[in-house]
Formats: sequence, C-alpha cells, structure tokens
Amino acid sequence: MATELSQSTLKEKSQRLTPQDTQSLLDSVDAFLFDCDGVIWKGDSLIDGVSDTLDFLRSMGKKLVFVTNNSTKSRRQYAKKFHSVGISVSEDEIFSSSFAAAMYLKVNKFPKEKKVYVIGEEGILEELELAGFTPLGGPEDGKKTANMKRNSFFEHDKNVGAVVVGLDQYINFYKLQYGTLCIRENPGCLFIATNRDAVGNLTDLQEWPGAGCMVAAICGTTQKDPIVVGKPSTFLMDFLLEKFNIPTSKMCMVGDRLDTDILFGQNSGCRTLLVFSGVTKESDLQDPLNQIHPEYMTTTLSDILYLPNNQF
Amino acid sequence: MLTIKLSAAAVCSSSSTHFLNPRCRLRFNKRIPFLSNPSLFNPLRPIAECSSFSAKKNSARKMDSSASSRIVAAAEQLKDPDQLIDSVETFIFDCDGVIWKGDKLIDGVPETLDMLRSKGKRLVFVTNNSTKSRKQYGKKFETLGLNVSEEEIFASSFAAAAYLKSIDFPKDKKIYVVGEEGILKELDLAGFQYIGGPEDGDKKIELKPGFLMEHDEDVGAVVVGFDRYFNYYKIQYATLCIRENPGCLFIATNRDAVTHLTDAQEWAGGGSMVGAVRGSTQREPHVVGKPSTFMMDYLAKEFHISKSQICMVGDRLDTDILFGQNGGCKTLLVLSGVTSLPMLQSPDNTIQPDFYTNKISDFLSLKAATV
Repeated sequence: MATELSQSTLKEKSQRLTPQDTQSLLDSVDAFLFDCDGVIWKGDSLIDGVSDTLDFLRSMGKKLVFVTNNSTKSRRQYAKKFHSVGISVSEDEIFSSSFAAAMYLKVNKFPKEKKVYVIGEEGILEELELAGFTPLGGPEDGKKTANMKRNSFFEHDKNVGAVVVGLDQYINFYKLQYGTLCIRENPGCLFIATNRDAVGNLTDLQEWPGAGCMVAAICGTTQKDPIVVGKPSTFLMDFLLEKFNIPTSKMCMVGDRLDTDILFGQNSGCRTLLVFSGVTKESDLQDPLNQIHPEYMTTTLSDILYLPNNQF
Repeated sequence: MLTIKLSAAAVCSSSSTHFLNPRCRLRFNKRIPFLSNPSLFNPLRPIAECSSFSAKKNSARKMDSSASSRIVAAAEQLKDPDQLIDSVETFIFDCDGVIWKGDKLIDGVPETLDMLRSKGKRLVFVTNNSTKSRKQYGKKFETLGLNVSEEEIFASSFAAAAYLKSIDFPKDKKIYVVGEEGILKELDLAGFQYIGGPEDGDKKIELKPGFLMEHDEDVGAVVVGFDRYFNYYKIQYATLCIRENPGCLFIATNRDAVTHLTDAQEWAGGGSMVGAVRGSTQREPHVVGKPSTFMMDYLAKEFHISKSQICMVGDRLDTDILFGQNGGCKTLLVLSGVTSLPMLQSPDNTIQPDFYTNKISDFLSLKAATV
C-alpha cells in the first residue's frame, strides 16, 4: 500500500478525462465506487446526468457501490433516499460510515453488555442497534443542557465502552461534556470517528461543517486521536471485497474530496477519478501544498457517459 | 479492560497528523498542510495537541525544542519559599485551580496574597477563562474576600480585545464571537463591533433544499473561546466568515482541553470549540491566551517589568508552565488544580517547571516550618 501511494505521488499531475481515457476505464474497471455528497447529489438534489450514467454503467455489467462518509443515515435510509430521487439501489450496495462504525465494533468483538455513546445522528443509532449494540445519546441529547450550579454533578454512564462521533447538526455542550467524560474517565473507552471530513455539500446551495468538526472538538478535550472507520481508512474495503470478490485494481473510486475519497481509493489500490461537482475545485488540486493526485479528474460524473459519445 | 486488535493497514487516522506537524505555521489564514499518509499513525496513542503560540517563529521553534530535543531538569519540590520570593518582583497567578476551584476559594489564599503584597511584590492574575470580563472577575475576587483590582486581572477575553487593538483591527469591520459575555464586554470596551455570542445559541438551521445561510461580509475576525451555548449554527457562521471573507482572522482565546467550571469535576474546555472551527476551516487559529506569550509581552510592557523578575504560578503544565517558560520566567506548579504529582513525574511529560508545591499557601506554611 505504501509503495502504491508513493508511486502515485511520483506520477505526473492528474489527467483530465478524455473520451479515450473514459473508454479505457470502462474496459478495465469492473466496479465503480461512488462517494455520494457532491458526486451523486447535493443535499436532496440529484446532480444532472447521474441517473442516466448509473443506468448506463449497469447496462454495461458494471458493479455499482456507494461509499459515503455521511453517517447521518443508515444503509436502509440511504436506499430510501436513492429511491426518492429515482435511482434503484439496494441496501447491500451501500457502505456508509454509520455502518462502518457498527461493523468496527462487531469485528473487534465489542462486548454487548457495554454501551456506546453517540455524538451523531439517527444513522449511527440505527446501525448500532441492528448490530445488537446499545447506543446512548444521539439527536435527543441535542435538547439537553448541562447544569453547572455549585453542588450539581454531571453524571455519565460508567458502562460506556465506546464513544462514536460523526456529523451532528444537534451538537451542543452537553454532548461534548458527556463524550469527554466517557473517554477520559471510563477505563479503555474507545474513541471512534465515523470520518473527519471538514465540510460537505449537505444542501444544494452551500457547504456545511462536517464530522471533522465534532471529532476535532472531542480531540480538543481528550487530547486523543480517534480510530477513523470511514474514508480514507480502508476499513470498509474489507467488507466490499468480501461482498464483490473483485480485485481492487479493477475498481475505480469516484469522489469529490482528495483527503477522503481519493486517498481511500489510492490506499486500497484502486483507480481514482476526482470530480469537480462537489467540495474540490481545480485550484485546490493544483495548490502546491496538496500532495494527493488522483489518476483522473473531470467536471462531473455524467462525463463518464457523455465523453465517449461526443466528438471533442 | 477491553482490548482490541487493530490491523494498521485497515485502520488509519486521517488529519490526526496535523497535531504533530512541525511545519504547523502560525500565520493568519494559513492552511494546514495535509499529510497524505495517515496509515503510519497509531490512532490509540494519546498525544498532546499541537499548542499554538503567537505569530513569532522563534516561539514556535522554542516550543518544538522544549518539547522534544532539550534534556529537561526535573522540577524541584519547593523547600525554601523565601528564596523564590526574594528573587522575583512579580508573581503571575493562574486562577482556576490556584486561587479558586469553581466558586470556592482554595485554603490560605488571602493570607498568602497579603504576605506577598506586604513584601512589595506586584501581583497579576492571568486566566484563560474567557467567560467573564476583567470587571466581572474583579467582582468575583471581591465576593471571595480578596483585595484585587481590575487592572491586575488579565483574562483571555481581555487578551482577544487587546490583540485586535494591537494590530489596529479596523473599527468599521465586525467580529463574530463564538463565546460568552466576557468576550463581548471586552470587545465593546475596546470600541469594536461584534455579532454572535450567547444569543446565537438559540438559532437553528434547517438542512433542506433552497435553504441558504447568509453571513455578514463585513466580519473581519472570528474570535472563538469557551462556549456553553455552542451549536451547529455558530460553527457554520464562523466557518463561512473564515473561508469566504478575504483576510478574515481566526482568533482563539485559548485551547484548554478541560476546565474546572465547578469544584467537583472537569468540564470540556475552550479547546473543543476551537477544535471544531479548526476542523471545518482547516486553519490554525492565532491563540492569545496561555501558553501564547501575548499576555506576558503585554503586561511586561504595561508594567515595565523584566521577565526574569517574574514567577508564573499555575496548575496546568501545557498552558501555565509553558506560558512562563516561553516568556523566560521562573515557574512554580501547584498541585491544587488539574495536575497531580504522578502526572508531573510521568515519563510522558516533557514540561518541567522550576518548582512544584501543593498550594500557594505553602509560601506561608513552609516558611513557618523553617523558623
């Protein structure tokens, strides 16, 4: 993995996708992995041409997989969202970081009698419950306030063995305090982050703070680093490989963010394609401080469909 | 105890390496360089967060060298307080964990301060707690029966306003505040316009199609400090200002991990709010509170004192003691606050004060013992 990474950083700068490149990609790739926010949709608005492109890829016999760091929904809730924007996707084609958090605990045999405190939304709670764990916290702690009067004491459950932090639009001081106490005071308590994205296209009109904020807030109080289960960690790739049995060299990761999507793809040994329909602009890619260079770059996902079919 | 087997290849931490990046420079609006190989990082190892300092490069270099390559002499237990007292002109005291814990005065404090004053020592109080203004702290000291004037108090709320003044921040620009009353009051006193503060704690957002959060394009600085009314609205507002208003400053009052809001336990500190905004903007803040030497430089200038004539007394290694060391003062750690003796003597600790003692009233009791 390290060799592949250093090779890709030594490569020439990323190539703009041409009709020939696209055709060659279609010939050599068996599975396309898509990020969602900024690639498939922005908030609840589907990006132009996505539906036709996905249909086209399916018709060519390509496997489609959706790998998203957005932990607010479970896989089941994501399948519903796809359905609501007119795209047919089954639950087991979706790998969300909410699912990753639950699987991490499962794979590492987190004891069922221990509890999990969640700074995050419904998606994480649902995936934890599905995996047989007991979550505490979540959106309803967004309504709680901390009593800081002289003789009051902020209690926390000593049975919490892990704190999972993801995107949380209901973040507040109560949750920060609860998560902090669990990690600092419960012996062996794990600090798990679904992801650390700085911002994301949570609505169609602008970017919004991502899980990176909530995670950094807890890093700030605990002075510990989390275990990251979402991109760019390759944790989810193990599940993908088990499901699809396709070598990673025949997979192409399509994403809008360098430090999560593209890095995930490179760390796993996949082909990589950066799209500019989300959080990254061409100037970010060309910034001298940037060390991540995808194999290809293009404006938007539907270029995969339209490029080979047009004369440029 | 729960043990987990981790495969280094399967699990990795992404931007965690920000904390240890020695190239972490502190200029305004500078992006954190992203290190692209996270798999080298052991995510379960607790690390000290990269403390930020004033914009001077030499301060940053000093922090790096003191943290890693210098062989540090172990702190000495304070045996002869007179010698220390006679060797300095000024004592700078941290407040939480040194003078008080929550709203409770620590034993022997009033007599100790009186004794120091009777010996002609100047007393200054420097606190990272930005929830109150100097005036409000003056009242707190008064309520606890201590004779301390406003001019002797330097809270990080004051430091934020003093910093903006020192860089001639334009009066026609606005400041967005993620923090409490203390910051608002100090900005007001210094003649600056601000928006935000506690009342933004009631604002909600709706992540739905067509919803656009506007922000004031006249905001030229965002000040982030401890904030019990912290929420997603504020993070987004601060983020928009820093990312989209050209030249917008990102200022942190302090980055303390935890704080003693009540005497019974620790509470999540300013480090969390600052961490959150750092997380979304990927920019390093300019820190005005300890361990940044901004306040030290300010009061040395204000009172015409030489730093070698100062002793910094505090309970926290990575803010108080580092502040004193970076400023070139003598340092005394008290164990009446967040730091215990095992923590001081732990092999993981690289910050060694000159002296340590249980609490400041040891100045009196140790003296009595030697008579």
